Amino acid sequence: MQKTLRLENVTKRYGAMTAVDHLTLTVPSGIVFGLLGPNGAGKTTTLEMVEGLRRPDDGRVWWGELDVVRHPDEARSQFGVQLQSSAFFELLTVKETLELFHSFYRRRLAVSDLISRLGLEEKQNARVGGLSGGQRQRLALAAALINDPEVVFLDEPSAGLDPQARRNLWDVILGLKAEGRTVVLTTHYMEEAEVLADRLAIIDHGRVLDEGTPRELIQRHMPASVVEVSRSVGINSTVDLPAVRRMEERDEVTTLVSDRLEDTLVGLVNWAQREGRAITGLTTRNATLEDVFLELTGRSLRE
Amino acid sequence: MNAILVLTRSLLRQTIRNRQGLFWTLFFPLVLMFVFSFLGNSQSRVNLAVVSPRGQSAAVMKVFQRSPLFHVTKMSRRQALQEVQRGQIDAALLVPLAAADHTTTLTLRYNNANAVSAGQVVGSVEAFVAQADIALSGRPPLFRVAAQAMTHSHSSTYLDFLLPGILALMTMQNSLFGIGAGLTRWKEQGVLRRFRATPVKPVQLLAATIVNYMVVGLASAAIVIGFSTTILHASVSVPLGPILLVLLLGMASFLSIGFIVAGLSKSQEATIPIINLISFPMMFLSGVFFPVSSLPRILAHIVQYFPLTYVADALRGLMSGQLTLGASAFRTDIIGLVVWIVVTGLIASRAWRWE
Repeated sequence: MQKTLRLENVTKRYGAMTAVDHLTLTVPSGIVFGLLGPNGAGKTTTLEMVEGLRRPDDGRVWWGELDVVRHPDEARSQFGVQLQSSAFFELLTVKETLELFHSFYRRRLAVSDLISRLGLEEKQNARVGGLSGGQRQRLALAAALINDPEVVFLDEPSAGLDPQARRNLWDVILGLKAEGRTVVLTTHYMEEAEVLADRLAIIDHGRVLDEGTPRELIQRHMPASVVEVSRSVGINSTVDLPAVRRMEERDEVTTLVSDRLEDTLVGLVNWAQREGRAITGLTTRNATLEDVFLELTGRSLRE
Repeated sequence: MNAILVLTRSLLRQTIRNRQGLFWTLFFPLVLMFVFSFLGNSQSRVNLAVVSPRGQSAAVMKVFQRSPLFHVTKMSRRQALQEVQRGQIDAALLVPLAAADHTTTLTLRYNNANAVSAGQVVGSVEAFVAQADIALSGRPPLFRVAAQAMTHSHSSTYLDFLLPGILALMTMQNSLFGIGAGLTRWKEQGVLRRFRATPVKPVQLLAATIVNYMVVGLASAAIVIGFSTTILHASVSVPLGPILLVLLLGMASFLSIGFIVAGLSKSQEATIPIINLISFPMMFLSGVFFPVSSLPRILAHIVQYFPLTYVADALRGLMSGQLTLGASAFRTDIIGLVVWIVVTGLIASRAWRWE
């Protein structure tokens, strides 16, 4: 069955602060959907309301025909959930932990299948307390899959993982999609969003700034190219270069966002010859999600 | 139903594998019982030094030695006073040279650092001297006291007194610290949040937690009773049914108090001091180490309503053979505990927060 996840004007306030502000989204079935935003943007709160963990102050959440806000228990039994700051009993083994979660559901997968699927065979009798970060994350994923869910929510799944463990995790997530499951994940890693997400919503201050495929987002907001040179070259806002939409100085690099790469480069070379400067560290590239994000929010994803 | 069983099994595994936690659960009760087993009956004897002029000492010593109340040693004045001061003996009795024609003053020098033992020392020596005086005068006494114990059992040692107190104390500590600290830790780590994201119901989690602490509580009580009766030879009666009832009710009331604390506080750092604040006064006032009757009357009136007092009272009554299921004093304890459970249970169900 093809179910759509819909958020309609979902709102959550904490005192005077509005953490999630009339957020509306539709997640089609069978894709990986990314919520991209900096820390504190409201991604986790949004996810928790969708998962039925938090009650929105306003708005509705629909999973197919199921009203998640009214029937959180039913939603919880259908959803696969991996939380950002959650833990398991430290003194139980991997297998015992999964058996415990197995007992909570009616519809469920065999514990041994999940263990082998996530490559936890060697660790199945090891205590949770002794697992590495990557192994813990795989256990969390196994626990999220134990009820054979059609939709899986992953909150910052690769936080704190080394590059190798992160790649393994991406393979698992792409595997979930291949099985026809819908995956909703939050991240603030641009690369992760680009590799995994079929569609993305860029979120800041509890609102959706824009939504679409990564390519659409780049096309819409940054049809431009990016030119980077060493900061020591000495370009600053007093230097007038053609076709430059925006300039930014950060660390050792000066970044120029150009609407016409050729014009900007010619202008740059001419300026350098006139002023007698050497151009060092010159690179050009297409705009990325990171640049889109900067354009939309005025701040970097990692901030 | 299956979820509750698997949850209970998981919690018990978690508890049993926490070796350090188990060690401390049993260590203090067993050590306390072991240490106090050495006191036996010797505690009730007064250690008395007799300082008397040459020639008279033998007679005075003889009189005191015949009494079961005293353990007497002859000493020089200097040595005796020094030892009293250092607290190594309870008191020194200074006997002057005999003068037949008027009242002889026996001076008793005692250490008043410990008010209880000081009172006991002065009282017993005074009583003993008065008795000896009457006996020497040759007249029949006007009054005589016939002391009769209210219990049907043999005379009990301090160990027999202490055992039910320690059991009550363990009941409180296990339940209060177990659930108070345990639940807050799970809350802090995010274990409870993860459970919330599943269809498991809070009631199921609560039921499993209660069963877990009750199994652990009963097992450790059994170990302490077994150790005290077989190895330390505490002689207490153990009516299983009533004792089980008191232990379970005691645990239930302390579990709900712990539940309130865990529900309200966000971190372990906040929980532990609150639990100490609750448990410390009860530990010292509720008749664990000494009877509530030795407290000032006003304090005793308040203390009688403490949950630990009910538990300690009921257990001591049952184990000394004074109380049976039908006794009204026992009923009072049971009703008291039930009231605590209902009231704290209601508050706990409202105070509970998952995160």
